[in-house]
Amino acid sequence: MDKNIKVLVVDDFSTMRRIVKNLLRDLGFTNIQEADDGSTALPMLQGGDFDFVVTDWNMPGMQGIDLLKAIRADPKLSHIPVLLITAEAKKEQIIMAAQAGVNGYIVKPFTAGTLKTKLDKIFERLG
Amino acid sequence: MSIDTIGKISLEQAKSLVEYLESGQQEAADAIVNEIQNPTNTELFAEIGKLTRQLHDSLTNFQVDSRLNDLATGDIPDAKERLNYVIERTEAAANKTMDAVEAIFPVLDNISEQVQSVNPAWTKLMNNEIDLAEFKSLCLGIDTLLKTTGKDTQLIHSLMTDVLMAQDFQDLTGQVIRKVIDMVREVEDSLIHMLTAFGISEDGALEAQGPEAISKERPKGIPSVGDNLVEGPIINTENRDDVVEDQDDVDDLLSSLGF
Repeated sequence: MDKNIKVLVVDDFSTMRRIVKNLLRDLGFTNIQEADDGSTALPMLQGGDFDFVVTDWNMPGMQGIDLLKAIRADPKLSHIPVLLITAEAKKEQIIMAAQAGVNGYIVKPFTAGTLKTKLDKIFERLG
Repeated sequence: MSIDTIGKISLEQAKSLVEYLESGQQEAADAIVNEIQNPTNTELFAEIGKLTRQLHDSLTNFQVDSRLNDLATGDIPDAKERLNYVIERTEAAANKTMDAVEAIFPVLDNISEQVQSVNPAWTKLMNNEIDLAEFKSLCLGIDTLLKTTGKDTQLIHSLMTDVLMAQDFQDLTGQVIRKVIDMVREVEDSLIHMLTAFGISEDGALEAQGPEAISKERPKGIPSVGDNLVEGPIINTENRDDVVEDQDDVDDLLSSLGF
């Protein structure tokens, strides 16, 4: 796994962004940027060569699921793997995210171990 | 009011009435008519009186329920402030903790690096394979390690105390949230009391909304989220079968979908 990839962490709570950033840094990722909702994240993604997106679902403005759909609908972004880290735990939502093309789904509260396992799996699949 | 009591005219009254009218005594005739209708009026007045009293009592009771008004104008805005306080306190605590943790990480990394740097020479020493130059450099390395570790452990100790102290939010926010729970319970009681005062049972209220409301009735414990799919953290996963309980459930569900 290339640890120099550019990662965008999207969450409306700065504390959660900070936690995810710390965990990612601990796993060796150093090139991390932040956005506080989908509508902030999307232009950042369109403007900069991001390789990976970690996003929350429930955010004011554009929600994570809509950000995922927007990424998949944009030919320039559709290749970017997206990991959802969310408190949303309805089966309906998980299925919806899967159908929208999510690469991983972590339900909050989560552990550092879960994040590592999911990242390994995502990048292993991408080769 | 029964039919029997509705003003009946007696023969006597009828005769007098005709007499008065014939002789042009209009006032006396009207008086007889009034007299005949009087029993009716008395009952009507009594009935109106009763209703007025009931209305008055209801209004008085409603004023007793001015607590509801206080709740709406005072307690609920106050609860909003309290809950905002909870958000602020928990955010501050999270940041304080992460400040300390983020400050500890590089200190630990530094110690770990120094340990690793003296380790090869130390292993040689233990195996009696060290030469003098290496031994001298090992001594310097260990000297630095001891000095920095002594200083760093003190720093870590004080940062860990910060982490400890940041947990005081639990006590403070717990008290505040308990107050808000009490208030919510009071609002609930007042609303039920008001419904009862107006003679509406819970079922009645549901019926009043039409058959749709009844058919939409949900099993207990599942909140209505309307058309909003997003619900946030699920508090009672064990009572619901439309949600996952943990990450294993998520993984199982996704793998059943071919993920």
